[in-house]
This record gives sequence, structure tokens and C-alpha cells, in this order.
Amino acid sequence: MMAMIRGYHRPTTLEDALAVLADSGAVALGGGTMVNTISDSEPMEVVDLQALGLDGIRADDDRLELGAMVRLSSLVDSQVVPAMLRELAHREAPSTLRRAATVGGTVAAADPESELLAGLLAFDATVAVAHSLGSENMPLADLLSDPSQLRLGIITSVSIAVGGDAAAHRTGRTPADRPIVMSVGHRGDDGTLRVALTGVAPTPVLVDLDSLASLDPPADFRGSSDYRRELARVLTDRVLASLGESR
Amino acid sequence: MKITLTLNGVERMLACEPHESLKTVLRREGFYSVRFGSETGETGAAAVLVDGQLVSAEVLLAAQADGHSVDTVEGISPGRGLDPIQEAFIVTGAIQSGYSTPAMILAAKALLAENPAPTEEQVRDALTGILDRETGYVRPVDAILRAAAVLRGEDVEPVQAWLVPALTGPEAAGPGDLTSPLAGVPTSAPRVIVSPEVPETNVVGKPERKVDAVKLAKGRPAFTDDFEMRGMLYAKMLYSPHAHARIVSIDDSKARALPGVHAVLHHENVERVRYASGGQSYPNPLPYDQVSFDNKVRHVGDRVAAVAADTIEIAEQAVSLIEVTYDVLPAVFDELEAITGDAPVIHDEDELEGAHDPGRNIVHHMEAEVGDVEEGFAKAARVFEDTYRVHQVQQCPIEPHIAISYLDSDERLVIRTSTQVPFHVRRMVAPLLGLPVKDIRVIKPRIGGGFGAKQEMLIEDVVGHLTLATGHPVRLELNRAEEFMSSRTRHPQTITYKTGVNSDGVLVSQSMRIVGNTGPYATHALTVQQVSGLRGLSSYNTPNKRFDCDVAYTNIPVPGAYRGYGAPQALFALESHMEDIARELGMDPLEFRRMNWTKVGDPLDIATRLGEGASDLEVVPVITSSGLEECVAQGERAIGWHRGKDPAWVAPADRPHIRRGIGFAMCMHGTAIPGLDMGAASIKINDDGSFNLLIGATDLGTGADTVLGQMAAEVLGVPLNDIVIYAADTDMTPFDVGAYASSTTYVSGMAVKKAAEEVHRQITERAALMLDLDSPGEVELADKRAFAADGRSVGLDEIALHSLHQDQQHQIMATASYVSPESPPPYAAQFAEVEVDIETGQVTVKALVMAVDCGVPINPITSAGQVEGGMIQALGYGHCEEMAYDDKGRMVNARFGPYKIYRADEMPRIEAYLVQTMEKSGPFGAKAIAEIPKDGVAPAIRNAIGNATGAWINQIPFTPERVWQALSAD
Repeated sequence: MMAMIRGYHRPTTLEDALAVLADSGAVALGGGTMVNTISDSEPMEVVDLQALGLDGIRADDDRLELGAMVRLSSLVDSQVVPAMLRELAHREAPSTLRRAATVGGTVAAADPESELLAGLLAFDATVAVAHSLGSENMPLADLLSDPSQLRLGIITSVSIAVGGDAAAHRTGRTPADRPIVMSVGHRGDDGTLRVALTGVAPTPVLVDLDSLASLDPPADFRGSSDYRRELARVLTDRVLASLGESR
Repeated sequence: MKITLTLNGVERMLACEPHESLKTVLRREGFYSVRFGSETGETGAAAVLVDGQLVSAEVLLAAQADGHSVDTVEGISPGRGLDPIQEAFIVTGAIQSGYSTPAMILAAKALLAENPAPTEEQVRDALTGILDRETGYVRPVDAILRAAAVLRGEDVEPVQAWLVPALTGPEAAGPGDLTSPLAGVPTSAPRVIVSPEVPETNVVGKPERKVDAVKLAKGRPAFTDDFEMRGMLYAKMLYSPHAHARIVSIDDSKARALPGVHAVLHHENVERVRYASGGQSYPNPLPYDQVSFDNKVRHVGDRVAAVAADTIEIAEQAVSLIEVTYDVLPAVFDELEAITGDAPVIHDEDELEGAHDPGRNIVHHMEAEVGDVEEGFAKAARVFEDTYRVHQVQQCPIEPHIAISYLDSDERLVIRTSTQVPFHVRRMVAPLLGLPVKDIRVIKPRIGGGFGAKQEMLIEDVVGHLTLATGHPVRLELNRAEEFMSSRTRHPQTITYKTGVNSDGVLVSQSMRIVGNTGPYATHALTVQQVSGLRGLSSYNTPNKRFDCDVAYTNIPVPGAYRGYGAPQALFALESHMEDIARELGMDPLEFRRMNWTKVGDPLDIATRLGEGASDLEVVPVITSSGLEECVAQGERAIGWHRGKDPAWVAPADRPHIRRGIGFAMCMHGTAIPGLDMGAASIKINDDGSFNLLIGATDLGTGADTVLGQMAAEVLGVPLNDIVIYAADTDMTPFDVGAYASSTTYVSGMAVKKAAEEVHRQITERAALMLDLDSPGEVELADKRAFAADGRSVGLDEIALHSLHQDQQHQIMATASYVSPESPPPYAAQFAEVEVDIETGQVTVKALVMAVDCGVPINPITSAGQVEGGMIQALGYGHCEEMAYDDKGRMVNARFGPYKIYRADEMPRIEAYLVQTMEKSGPFGAKAIAEIPKDGVAPAIRNAIGNATGAWINQIPFTPERVWQALSAD
């Protein structure tokens, strides 16, 4: 069963899109791989962002700005996106969904198992959110911990660091499985090290290397809380070793 | 709303609703190649090209595609031609059921447009969004690489069997080089080890194209749902949210009042007729513990009510308006807890007959003994005992259960359904609907995979009831979550083996106790656990053996038939147990097994005590053919068995947290149910010397129609394309039990062969008349002609015209049926190579090699396809698939992804070897092949993990935390 979508809008300007959101309480639609499949939703309207021109990737000083409507397949194929994020975008969705799913949609969906989101965290992502009163930038970590900041707003782009070194290690049931726990680290050109994990909290999170032992991961059938905590330690140590660091 | 699409190159304006998926709109416009697989798009059966890019049309709103170009497979090769990609899929055997083939072809189209020379890795990546439950991706990947070469203008070799020299037997060269001799051989070339006993044939044994391949490659309307009728209603079921509850009241008034609703059925308005839903021969085994709608629910997903309405949306809304008051009862899920006597009683109704001890939730109890097991244990030098647990998984056909019913102009009920057992369905559904069998016609179109889930009369009663209640055609399709929770699954079991050996390691006594879990309904419970016992106690010789089994009622979704049918459970336990005994004895695991496994001439004594048809066995069956030694030798070489004995390979110095291992499992299966399974076939000649072959056998994508056609063509001296095959339709074709128990090639095949031989006799008579011969005995059929000994001949077309129109007119035709008195076992050697991460418990399966003795493979391509695809299902069973529940019995992973099935880019190396033996009882020497690939993968992985790490784990699946726990315990 598809979501209970009662109305479809495809505005051509951001202003129009924000106006529809404000008027109807509509939901912003990236590729639709998430929104269209919510089977127990209340009736809703959707605002398709495909005609807003948000699908560019551009260098911005020492950072890279990824338009919210950049498809994951475009990330994978890009020559300027860091190799680690290309790999994580590739792992995020299979061939039939990768060309629909978007960067902005991935951020809005806040899937706790999203390797790409963890990668964006490690690459110091900030998110530009447009509201009717203007646009603001916020760290991705802040948005994930308080998704209400997205209300009546539209993600327009995600800005990431470039350069530096990165490594990721994961444990899953099979090689292409969404990992039970995944750890990704990025050491920027300025030496700042950020490590993010999936599978240890309700969303992907940046972690403090000194407090891995105090994580309290939610359990499911694939991994108990204790097991996930152990994976967080083992995998993060491997990430650090790959980067030539240690805890 | 209105949208504009450039659809296969033509601009079209289409009407749609905002919530409608592109798939829905395309199907409404007649593009039936775009197929349902799951609401959330993971199966990719609905993939199309949007602006040239592969996208799932299932999760794309039609509105999102407005203004874009959309391409489906219908646009690729209009008319009678084939695109090179379609051609490559056909010749390599990449098509089994063909349900998702159009999506794969589009994936190839998009890939090759962008990259004319892709690597195998890139091809596999292009297929990641299209889940395949049938081929193991081996042949689709090869098809795309082949198509790429053709499109680049390169020459490609014809696809043919790759003949591998034997390693054992009088003509063998010996083991020689231990590395695989097959580097460079295309993966789609079936590897065949030829037996000198097998006679030369023209059509049988050849890699013929599947007879249904063209329509499947072109996405033609061929499946149950590819069919529409005016006035068709859409059905939706209301399922229980509780694992165990009594229905106190149902108020359907709001649902009935909803405009567009035509019927709401439940236990208050449908007659209570007891039945068992397993698709089996008459009489179905007791107990009859189901009714169409009950006043009690016994698992989450159990039936409560059914609605028929003008649209699926109205039906869904109506279901949500049915108000049910439940008295929720305590539930039990574990088979051991269920039978303690303290558990909630799941069947407390008075009318239940034929259940062993319903008060203790024991539906069946079985015992069988040969010799004296206790005496055997007393004499044994050593006795070993261990307990193994196997879990619940689902068959996951990409096409879910779907049925469409309608009344024809004679007011007979026609049910078009995705079933493996059309004749059983007709007989079983009749009393539920209060109709005589003669008023029901069941049609089986192409099936998008079944694997046993469709060996049931599962939803046909619901559509039948709704059509009879409304007079309208009614369609019911399960969605993916319903397919998990409300169809059928594999039986969980707890298995205890006890084995005594003498001082040389020879088995002297073996007992097997099983507690099986059949959920709340018996369906296949009796026969599945019987097969567990039969298979679990037949592979190895021992004078004393005993089977003891209880089958428990519980509140999990219902187990039933699943390819392998009790054998994968039993062989996981057996092949783990045998491995452990060998190790305890300090013996080589292959040598220990070889000393004990059954060989030609050995008796299958437990077979007379256990299993369907056992009572009809008058003499103890004896093994008549076995290629097991050759299978083991081929597998040993292909996997590189010697590496597992090298500590430097097991613990690679450069990867400190990795251990590597290789495991083995011996497999033995059955071929059909002796004395019970019956198949029949009719053949008649047409004016041009072609033939119609009408069969009740049920091809669910395996290639059964093709293989049966090859047998007819062989006997009649014609090419396969002169055999026009129709199956299966209860009005049109002779009876067949259906597709199960690895029976079609062997049983239905023999029926086809017998019918063809009778037609052959009639043709030779006619030829003798036309050629003025004294005796038809001197006539031979070949090359579409009948030849006399003196070299004169007449064409089959001339014979047909002569017999139909000219002289002593007669329809050359015959019908034959066959039931086998025996069930000759196929054998196989299964090998697995794994890597284990000893810090995380993650197991990566690197290679699976299976060498199978299936007698003579009638079609080496479809045979190899059965092995490749079967191994991958078995890999899921042992490695990553599991139905997981919360404490209320609600499945928490009823979606692909969380329920993990392998995709194209994470596959281990897969190799299948076909070791020929000449099985005299089978048609052209054939034995079974469909199920044996399910038997050995789980224990081979288990033994490989043990080889790698020293952790021997007695429970599947080998998910990371389970393995980590085992490693932590050491």
C-alpha cells in the first residue's frame, strides 16, 4: 500500500514550495523512496522538490555543497565528492533506489542505520534549511538530535568538509547488509578527527572516543545492546588503526 | 490529475491519482512487464527506466514521472524480434520463472548504454536492486556480459555443456592437479561429468532453450495478475493482530456501509467446513484443523475477515472499519514449551479429529524403529549425543500468492491462481465453497516462484467465497508483509541425535528425536517431519535406527512446505553431528562419512516405516545408482579442500582477526513419493506434424515444461520447437499431483515418455501403411520423418495429413500416466569456504561448490540453474535469513532488508557440477535435482566455521552475534 497521498505539488521556486508547506502542512518529497512507502500515514500532501534546481554539487571555499536533490547515484559518480562518501552513498541503496533517493531525503529520514548519514557526520556536515523567514545553517548532528528544526522548512543543501583521510569498518550479516554497527572516521586537513557510528543510538551519532564504553545502544534481533557496544569499540579501534591513530 | 509521459518513445497523457505509483499506472495501461514485488521497492520487479535510469516504479509516484521519459521492456523489441540482451538471457538460462526478468533486462539496457564494456562487478552492481530467488544471479550476470560482447560486435561461443573428465572410477585420470581445471570456462556453461553408461540422444541431455523463455524475456502478460476483467473487485483480508485470541464480536456495519464495498465475509456469515490446507493427495492427512473463517485466531496474521470492493483502496479502508472485539489469550511460540502440558491449549474445539494430544498441543506423534537401537548403543564402543536447533524462514517467492476468480458463462467458478497444485486446489476448495468439483476450473498460468509456499490451498477459498457472494470477478494478492505472516514458512525443529560407533568408527546404532513446530495448523506437519526422519536416517548405514517425533502446535505464523521439505532441517543436524563424531574419533571427516554412507546395493530400510507412500512399499528399497564418490572428488578439487588443513591458510598472517575454513556436507534426497505421486500427459499430432503436449505438471519457473517437452521430442524424432506445450488447467490437461517432492522430471517425465511412445507406435503404424511395409516395427523416427529400413521415408506432416484427412482417418494421440514404485535418491557433495572475523563474529561466505548426481540431467542448463539457485536459498537459511518476533508474536522484520536475502553484489563464488549416473528406473536415466541443493549448505558453512575457528555451533543462522557468542564462550 502506498502512502495516503491526497495532493501532489511540484513548485518551481523555493518560495512557492515553502508557501505550500505552510498552507497545507505538506511533506517535502525528495526521491520518494521513503515517503511514498509510509503505509500507516495520515492522509497528506507532498511537495516534490525536483523542479527547484537543488541538484547541483559545487565547491565552496574548502568545503563542498551538495544540493538536497542530488541523487545518491550522482554522489557515487561524482569526481569531486570524497571517495569515502561516494562509497557510503553506493552502499546506501541498491541500483533501483539509488537513482531516486536524494541527499536531502537521507538527512530528513534520519535512518539510524544509514551509513551515509554517519559519513556525513564524520565529514562535519552542516545542513542548510530554508524557512519562510530565511535560511539557516545547522550542524547535521544538531538536526538529527532535534528534527523539529525542520518543521515547515526545506533542506536545500548539505555542506561537507573535503580532503583529509577517512576509514570505515562495519559488521553485518552479509557483505551488502545494512550494518548492525558501522564506524566511520574522518581526519580533516586541520587534523580534527571525527568518528560517527550507526547502530548505537536512535540516529547515527558522532562519538566521543573516551566514552564508547558508556554507549547504551538500543537492541534488536540482530544485536543486543552489549554486542553493539562491543562492536562499537572493535570497529572504532579498527578505524583509528586505519588512520594511524589510537584511543 | 493528468500527467504526460514519453512512454516507450510515444508521448502519452494519462490520468492518475496523486497516491498512485508509476507501477500501478503502467499496469493499468497494459504494461504488464512492470510487476509487484514489495510495497517498498526492494525486489525491483517493478523497475523501469526513467530518463534512461533504472528506477523502481513501485516507490515512485506516477506524478513524480510527469514530464519524463519512461521505458519498459515492451518498448525494447516490439513485434516478433528479440533484443540481443533478451537473446542472451534466453540462451544462458538466465530465466527461470521470468517474473523479474524484464527488470533485469532493463538494468542491463541502462548499464550497457552507459558502459559498453562493463566488468562483472559493474554488472552485479546494476542488478543490486533486483532480488532474485531463483538463479543465484550466476546466469543473469553471464547473460549481461554476453550481451555486452555481442553488442560490441564480438563473436561469442554457443552456450554448451562443459564436459569435465571423471576423477574416480575405472576411466579416471586420478586427482592430479588440485586446482580447478575450469578457469576461463564461462560461468553459465553447465559442468557435466559424463558417464559412459549414458546412451547418445538428440534432444534429451542438450542445453535447449526454455520453451517459455521468449514470452518471459519480452514481459508478455503471462502471470496470474496479467489479466483483467470488467467489473473485477479487489479483495483485502483483515488479519489478527494477536497471537492467540477468541473473537468475541465482529461489527462489520461500517465496512458494509462504505460505498464501493460488495461483500464482507467472516465466521458469522461463512459456513464452517473443516479442512487441512496442505496441497496433498486424497485423502489429506488429518487433522482438519482449519475453517475458512474461525471464531478464534491462533497467530498474528491469522484470518479474521475478507472484503471485496471496487478498488483496492476502498477494500483497505473497509478492512480498517471492521470492529473486532478480541478476548486475548496467552500464547506459546517455542515447540519445547508448547508440549510441556502447562502451555495454553491452541486447539480446544470439540470437533477436532485426528490430532494426537491436543490438550498438550501435540498434533502428531511418530515412532519408527529398525533393529534394536538400545541394544546397539549397549554394544557400541562410543556413543555421541547432541541437540540442534533450526529456525523459521520464508520461501519468499518474488511473486506473492495471488488468485483471481470469476464465474464463466456457464456459471462455473474459474480460479486463476499462482499455485503448484492446481488439481489438489480444485478438489480441496470444492467442499469449502459447497460446489461439486465439476463446477470448478483451476488455471495455473506462469508462476513467479513457489518453493513450496504455493503447495497449499491458501487463498483460493477466499476469492471463491467472494465471487460466489458477489457474482463478480475477484482478485486477491498478498502484500509482502502478508506473504511473510499469513502464507507459509519452514518448520522450526529441535533435533537430538544419538549415535553409537564401533572401535573402527562404523555406525552401529542411531536414534533421532525431533520436536517440530507447525504453528497453529498442521497442513504439511505430518509429512514434513516424516521426511526429516526419512532423510535423517537414510544417508548412512546402520543396523539399528529409531525415529521419534512430536509435532507441536504453537502460535507462530504457519509452517508448511518449503523446498527440501524437512530434509534441510534433518541434514543440518546430521551433517553437524557426523562432523563432530569424526573429530572426536580423530578421523578425517570425509573418510569417516565414506565408511558409513549408503552405496549401490545398500537397503533403505527406514523407508518402509516412514513417509508418504511407505505403507505401499512391499520390499525394502535398495540404492540403484550413486555418483557420490565422483561428486566428492569433483567438489574437493573445485573448492580446494586441502587448504583447510593448512594452518597458514586458516590463519592468514596479514589479517590477524580473520580465520578461514572449508566445510563439507554429504547430501542425499528422494525422487518423488513412491506409490503415490502420479503424473499424466496427453500428446496429439497436428496437421503439420507438430504435436500438442498437454500436461498437468506445474512448471513454477524450474523449466519443467521444457524438460518434459524434450522427452517427448526425443521419442518422436522432432526438435523441441515442434512440441507445443500447455499446462496446467483442470479443464484441459490430465491430472498431475503438481510440482513438489522433486517428482516432475521423474514421474511426469515418465508419463510423457510413455504417452510419446504410444504416439510413436501409432505413427509407425501409419508410416507402415503409407510405405506399404509388412511391419511397423522396422520404422524409425528421426528428423521429423519416419524411415523404413530400406531408406524410404515419409514426413510426419504427410503422416498427419494422411491420418487426419485421407485414409482410415484417425487422430494419432495418446494419454499415459505414471506412478513410481520407487524413489531413487540423488546424491550430492556440498562444500563451503568461509572467512570468520573472530573479533566481531561476522561470517563471510566466499564460495559454495556443489556436485550433484541427479542421474542424467535432461537439460544441463536448467539443471545447473536449479543447483545454483537452490544453494543461494540454502545459504540464506544457514547464514542470514530469519523471521524475528517481539514477545507478542508480531514479526518485526517482515520486509526485505531487515529480512535479508542475498543480492547480486555480495554473492560467494558459486559452482555446480552435474555428475551423470544412469538411473534405470527414471526417464532417460533421470533422478531428481530440485530440492537436494537445499540440503547441505547450512551444515557445510557450520563445519567451515568450525574448521576456521574451532567453534562448532549447533543452531542456525550463523548471524554475527551468534558466532561472536560462540567464540566468546571458548
